[in-house]
Amino acid sequence: MTDASPLVSIRKLTLDATTESGPAHILRGLDLEIGRGRILGVVGESGSGKSTLASALLRLLPSNVSRLDGEIRFDGIDLLALPANEMQAWRGVRIAMIFQDPMTALNPLFTVGTHMVDVLRRRFPELSRREALARSEAMLVKVGIADPHLRLKAYPHQLSGGMRQRVMIAMALSVEPDLLLADEPTTALDATVEAQIVALFDRLRQDFSGSIVFISHHLGLVAELCDDLCVMYGGAIVETGPVAEVLRAPRHPYTRALLDCEIEDGDEGRLATIPGEVPNPLSELTQCIFASRCAHTADICLERHPPLVAMGQGRQAACIRSAEVLPCEVLP
Amino acid sequence: MRGAAVSAPGAERAPLIAFDDVSLVYDGKVRALDGVSFAIERGEIVGLVGESGSGKTTLCRVLMGLLPASFGRIAIAGEPLAARLARDPLGFRRQAQMLKQEAVASLSPRMRIRALAEEPLKIHRLPMTEGRARLLRLLKRLGLPEATLDKFPHQVSGGQARRVAILRALVLEPEIIVADEPTAGLDVSVQGELLNLMRDLHEEFALTYLVVSHNLNVVRRLTDRTIVMYLGQIVEEAPTRALFEAPAHPYAAALLSTNPSVDPARRRERIILKGEIPSPVNPPSGCRFHTRCPQVAERCKIEMPELRETGSGRRVRCHFPLTESTGRTA
Repeated sequence: MTDASPLVSIRKLTLDATTESGPAHILRGLDLEIGRGRILGVVGESGSGKSTLASALLRLLPSNVSRLDGEIRFDGIDLLALPANEMQAWRGVRIAMIFQDPMTALNPLFTVGTHMVDVLRRRFPELSRREALARSEAMLVKVGIADPHLRLKAYPHQLSGGMRQRVMIAMALSVEPDLLLADEPTTALDATVEAQIVALFDRLRQDFSGSIVFISHHLGLVAELCDDLCVMYGGAIVETGPVAEVLRAPRHPYTRALLDCEIEDGDEGRLATIPGEVPNPLSELTQCIFASRCAHTADICLERHPPLVAMGQGRQAACIRSAEVLPCEVLP
Repeated sequence: MRGAAVSAPGAERAPLIAFDDVSLVYDGKVRALDGVSFAIERGEIVGLVGESGSGKTTLCRVLMGLLPASFGRIAIAGEPLAARLARDPLGFRRQAQMLKQEAVASLSPRMRIRALAEEPLKIHRLPMTEGRARLLRLLKRLGLPEATLDKFPHQVSGGQARRVAILRALVLEPEIIVADEPTAGLDVSVQGELLNLMRDLHEEFALTYLVVSHNLNVVRRLTDRTIVMYLGQIVEEAPTRALFEAPAHPYAAALLSTNPSVDPARRRERIILKGEIPSPVNPPSGCRFHTRCPQVAERCKIEMPELRETGSGRRVRCHFPLTESTGRTA
């Protein structure tokens, strides 16, 4: 990491939600750091809590959340301790978000120009409407939209899916946030358009100085785009570290199993799977969260859920048997 | 017991599924399918890839007789599909079953899985005692606990819902399975399980598959042959392995290059296309891909290329197909 102090430091982030069958543990005491200027990829299967983590960072949470504990220190300020009106001043200013589905995230009644001017003038109140429009147009060029002048007058339904996602990205970047949250930003797009958006992210990071949290279920995409990786399972973080190193030699059996499930060029034979089911969010964490599906479960794994512990430079994993079952390779 | 279909004359030699110059035109102008020709032999697993709007799902629906083709001929084991549907509609439905994209959504939320699984038997007026026995055998084979039968669709996982959909299809002892995005929305940890199962069932029940997927990894692992579609047309067809090794159509090459890999050593050079798939209401002149093609030439803008055989079971719709050795235009 270039700067010693992380931009965001999350401690013991815990989130419960009320359900008909009792409290569901959606986030189970997360510890995570987001480095300055880094792209952090958050991967996990459905129900792992990765989208809730993004919502918690913005404090935009559904009404059935019954408990939100811990700390989210953003440049030293605990976002969870801020009064609601102060938190509102952070959204769209220091923290921006790109949602999965650009169709539902844009208001069908307003033009692209209105959307962009709104967010810009909220962020920079000194801008006139004309200045904001000019800046919006420049931003659309930056995200690769042809005829930006015409596009500003277009309504969302007049744009293709890829174009709408570019508009969302332009809106999010125009406020020059310190932290950009992108929740599955390419999942709703076709493959060749997804490739365009990924290339756009790659290009934009040259002049974007902030940090990005890139949430995805797609390990290959994260491997190509991100600097750091955070692997979530059942509402807990099981492994973090620089993406290339984690993928080269995972320290948690779940990361290893996920990697084995990826279908790669030239592979033959039967496909790997992870038998069993994801943990029930209603159950308390009395054993390792992955114990019921892990190939290496021993008695010690059933005693308690192991905390994330340092395993090498900048890496952490929550597995008590890591050294034993995933022995470190000796680097040349 | 496979005798659901009465074979037409010459059926043994005819391919199981044959499309000959099939088009589907909406409102006299939107060509959702445009001159589609292909054949699938018994026991083959054929993949169909392409982006939204390419006509994949339309093709499946036409094959299933759910949408009538506007032009062209479709034959099932040598017999025209329209004649087959007129003669014996239920028999055709037993012969060809479709696994729909949203497995959970295709199961009525108000019926228990037992009722859902027995529904096909009732619709087809099959003997219930025998049918129920078959259901239980299949249930076991698909790895579903018997208790699943007493549950409602919302009470089972996404992977189990897919198995229930497969159960409903297989209880009719079909020959043809059309699977539209069989793994869409499934987590990677259960995706492999479903693909392994589909492979096994193909052998055990002597099935013929047409598998539609936007997931190139799924197509590569499951299929023998792949058809690539763009804007209602087939642009390339080749043995799956050969296609992934060296695509000949520039669109196929771009599509395959987008497949991200976790292994840096296996990552392909990404080919980034301009723009998005154009509207089928107003398709480009000449080659339909020329507006986005990285190696477009003048001829491509005027003259639509034919789907031509290029040897070794491959067909390509391109004036300047990529050569296998260099990846450059010949």
